Amino acid sequence: MKVSLNWLKRYVDIKVSAEELCDKMTMSGFEVEEMIDLSKTMDNVKVGRILKIEKHPDADKLQVCQVDVGGDAPIQIITGAQNVFEGALVPCALHDSHLPNGAHIKRGKLRGLPSDGMMCSGEELCLKESDYPGAEVYGILILQGNWTPGTDMREVLDLNDVIIDFSILSNRPDCNSVLGIAREVAVVLKEEFHMPVPSFRTAGGNIADCMSITVEDYDLCPRYIGRAVRNLRIKESPDWMKRCIKSAGMRPINNIVDITNFVMLETGQPMHAFDMRDIRGAQIIVRRAKDGETITTLDGKPHTLNSDMLVIADSEGPSCLAGIMGGLDSEIKPDTTDLFLECAKFRRDSVRRTARTLGMRTESSARYEKGVDIHNVSYAMERALQLIEELDAGDIMEGIIDRNQGLPAERILQVPAASINALLGVDVPVPAMVEILNALAIATTVEGDTLTCRIPSFRDDIEGRADLAEEVMRIYGYEHITATPIRGALTRGKKLPERIHTDTLKNLLAAQSMREITTYSFISPKALDALRLDKEDSRRRVVTLLNPLGEEYSVMRTQLVSSMLTVLALNDSRKIPAVRMFEVGKLFLPKALPVTEQPAEIPAVCLGLYGPDEDFFTLKGIVETVLKRFGVNGDFTPSAEPYLHPGRQAEVRLPGYDAPVAVLGEVHPLTAADFGIDIRAYVAELRLEPLFAALEKQQTIYQPLPKFPASTRDLSVLADVDMPIAQLEKTIRSAASNIVEKVQLFDVYQGSQIPEGKKSVSYSLVLRASDRTLTDEECDHAMAKILKALEKINAILRQ
Amino acid sequence: MRAQLEQIKENALKELRECPDLKALDGLRVKYLGKKGELTAILKQMGKLSAEERPVIGQVANEVRQTLEEAVAHRQEELKARELEDRLAAEKLDITMPGKERALGGLHPLSIVQEDLINIFQSMGFDVVDGPEVETDYYCFEALNVPKDHPARDMQDTFYLGENLLLRTQTSAAQARTMEHRQPPIRMVCPGRVYRADEVDATHSPVFHQMEGLVVDKGITMCDLKGCLEQFVHEIYGPETQVRFRPSFFPFTEPSVEVDVSCSACGGKGCRVCKGAGWIEILGAGMVHPRVLAGCGIDPEVYSGFAFGIGLDRLTTTRYKISDIRLLFENDLRFLEQFN
Repeated sequence: MKVSLNWLKRYVDIKVSAEELCDKMTMSGFEVEEMIDLSKTMDNVKVGRILKIEKHPDADKLQVCQVDVGGDAPIQIITGAQNVFEGALVPCALHDSHLPNGAHIKRGKLRGLPSDGMMCSGEELCLKESDYPGAEVYGILILQGNWTPGTDMREVLDLNDVIIDFSILSNRPDCNSVLGIAREVAVVLKEEFHMPVPSFRTAGGNIADCMSITVEDYDLCPRYIGRAVRNLRIKESPDWMKRCIKSAGMRPINNIVDITNFVMLETGQPMHAFDMRDIRGAQIIVRRAKDGETITTLDGKPHTLNSDMLVIADSEGPSCLAGIMGGLDSEIKPDTTDLFLECAKFRRDSVRRTARTLGMRTESSARYEKGVDIHNVSYAMERALQLIEELDAGDIMEGIIDRNQGLPAERILQVPAASINALLGVDVPVPAMVEILNALAIATTVEGDTLTCRIPSFRDDIEGRADLAEEVMRIYGYEHITATPIRGALTRGKKLPERIHTDTLKNLLAAQSMREITTYSFISPKALDALRLDKEDSRRRVVTLLNPLGEEYSVMRTQLVSSMLTVLALNDSRKIPAVRMFEVGKLFLPKALPVTEQPAEIPAVCLGLYGPDEDFFTLKGIVETVLKRFGVNGDFTPSAEPYLHPGRQAEVRLPGYDAPVAVLGEVHPLTAADFGIDIRAYVAELRLEPLFAALEKQQTIYQPLPKFPASTRDLSVLADVDMPIAQLEKTIRSAASNIVEKVQLFDVYQGSQIPEGKKSVSYSLVLRASDRTLTDEECDHAMAKILKALEKINAILRQ
Repeated sequence: MRAQLEQIKENALKELRECPDLKALDGLRVKYLGKKGELTAILKQMGKLSAEERPVIGQVANEVRQTLEEAVAHRQEELKARELEDRLAAEKLDITMPGKERALGGLHPLSIVQEDLINIFQSMGFDVVDGPEVETDYYCFEALNVPKDHPARDMQDTFYLGENLLLRTQTSAAQARTMEHRQPPIRMVCPGRVYRADEVDATHSPVFHQMEGLVVDKGITMCDLKGCLEQFVHEIYGPETQVRFRPSFFPFTEPSVEVDVSCSACGGKGCRVCKGAGWIEILGAGMVHPRVLAGCGIDPEVYSGFAFGIGLDRLTTTRYKISDIRLLFENDLRFLEQFN
């Protein structure tokens, strides 16, 4: 809410500086977004009268002007503008002056002749046609009226003012008005608040004889007041009113329109003026629009309406979008003679919905959306009529049509003062509370310890002691709140097991040289195509945002891989040679589509890496480390993820858990290309629930260290090329499980000296018994058993 | 014979002194003290001596042997020490050459900041809880005293997934969930991811992170709120930092305040960082609205409480002087590697 300091001064005596006022208002709950001292936008720009114009002897397009700027003697200014004339009053930027466009003007020479300043165009003074007539004319701004040369241009342009932009919180719609702000200013400055008291005379004739008003939908329009004014005398508004309207960034039109705008700005209550001749059937009907009804609003735009929207209609059809904008047909015209004035309360959510649906936002709708006070409706109407009389804009008819279903009764709260202090933890003296509340128009009396507060209707937000406590404290000053240690029972702060386990996981991965990343939880559905997921793949069952920022961020992710690949691609494209990354995130898996209940949020971790030292097995090593840390025993088996290399991927499954605990592999070249990755990259995705479950089952019990020495035997076998190494190892272990302690693979070889279709696999075996030193015979026996078992799967000792 | 022995001794000691290494030393030992060595050879001739001479010469011979043995041992020590010295000298490294590095992994700056906060609040007795990111309208708004079509909903542009389903706009959604199944005393923080339909720019992200705090007990006052936040602020911004309450509005707290801290860049005098104000807004807080308590089955006449919401992304960007919030979500390795 932008408010002019000069306008505020009409209602409250402001003796402090604008800066101090802003500080005080900020600390009472009205944060100042911006303070613009208009007088600082320019200096040393004066009114000048052009006395004489001569051609520049050395330049065709320049004119040499002698200008009276109020000094002892005229000064010489050279201009290129052609619209100047002798006798004209123009703005002159004198030597060492500053303009609002940032220019610093100094004395200088133009084609050999001195120029003691510059005459300004409207543009150079940052003026628009609406700020000053002629401001957008090409050339120098020619001033209107009869100013004395030397007058400061700030006076001419009404710039001796400060505009303060207050941020109005949504619980204080009453302060979307100059009066509302002025009341708060008066309270923080401890000054009187002078609220205008409307009075006016009527001039015969009764509105009831020429108009009827029917409210069909009181649920959307709890109050509607109409008054009539005849014999309009439409003209310009006086300067003071124009200044006020301009200070709020609006444009003065004529006295009638200006009065409705002024009253809206002053009281926060929007009004609407109808040309009475255009109200067909002389009746106003406040009703929901019929589906398909149309209206052309003041801005010339046609709209098709539906039955959710409230309109002000006459006997023929809609003439106004309630609370948003009037119709083109019934606006005030220069020849309007009779005026129907509307002042009403419309339900805020109705106005909000309609305005949104039609894509309109006006000063009026903005105030209705925030909520207007039902009692303020009649005050605003009276204030408007007072101004009509004051500006001699017409003859006010007798009578008022006030349609409502009863006005809410005054609310009275009774609250023990002690309970307010108990919530705050400070001791605000009771008289101070009473003084503050009364200043805020909350009429308060005290009996014993009990405060009796009459809540004004514009303070809907005050419902109980907490609200009163806030009112007291924000004025009394929050600096009185002193910091104390939290009282109450001492409790131990606990983390959920999932959080502890997640921390364990993150730290473990960080120890594997991995960096944690953070990406958005919503992705583009195109990412699922890039992953080459089958049409039937369950990960295509995504929760879709109804109002996404764009397709790019429109579905909740059901996997983390695509986000990881995007990040790998970014790093690759920036020529970063190697990365290891992980992300812990949630998968959003809907129970049904479209979603009617919250989807399952499944915690998962994604690993991603690339670089000259990385391959499938570095990734597998990390996955194994994670599984080991969490106590998960599972076999790596071939998997069939479409986004992974068909021959370089694996998964780990656990009984009792549907999804794989881990899927890992090299990224499929087609997927990599789709994400813009030029090199081999490796990704894994792990579900955290089974990891955490396994960890919680883990019990660490000390195992005694071996007392007897181990024997080491090496073993090389020739196996079929397709024989999985894991099967060989399993066979070795199970053949002599009682004494095989360790099976260490140290070589896999194919090539010369190895028959076609075979591979040589070499192990170092550690054999040990827990209760004795193994004899050579025992070891030989075990090796024989192992070889026999290997032979059964066609793996023969290499000679 | 005595002269012979003296001669051997003299020769041997000389050779030992000049002996260059352990191998040569061993040769000398064999030469003089070995079974076929010179000293042994002399001693073999002892038989030819008279009975009177024998013990005298024998003693001299033993003395010579002992002297030589000691000299060999001594020389051996010397040579060993020298050899070690030589080896160590030869093994000298250019220690300015780079180490065999194993890349340092690490957590995302947001995680680091979040963990710091968790530690602070956990040590003050706060439980750390979690809540769903896809929330119902009820927990995100209704239960927090924001009825449908309330203008306060305009404060936050919400992503909707369905009629009553949305991406939580605030971790405050965890308040009602906590209070519904727990009676006071309650002290909890809920860190997590939140969403608002803000277009992406240097200071806005549609995905960001908050940490909600909630304390409910008998006799909790605004002074407790200030005490709690002051502790946190002193941990994060340093013990000199001042805390200021400024009136504000949130539907689920009453009274509501914005919490400002004195600008660390200028100490409160006003500078570019704080835009001349001397204060920086860091979080919103307030006393839990009685209606929120009552809605969760906690009697506001008996209990009171406070709540606060900290923006983690903002805290992270200010702590590390990160100029653009988008860097947090871009995950350039060169960015991530700066945080350990």
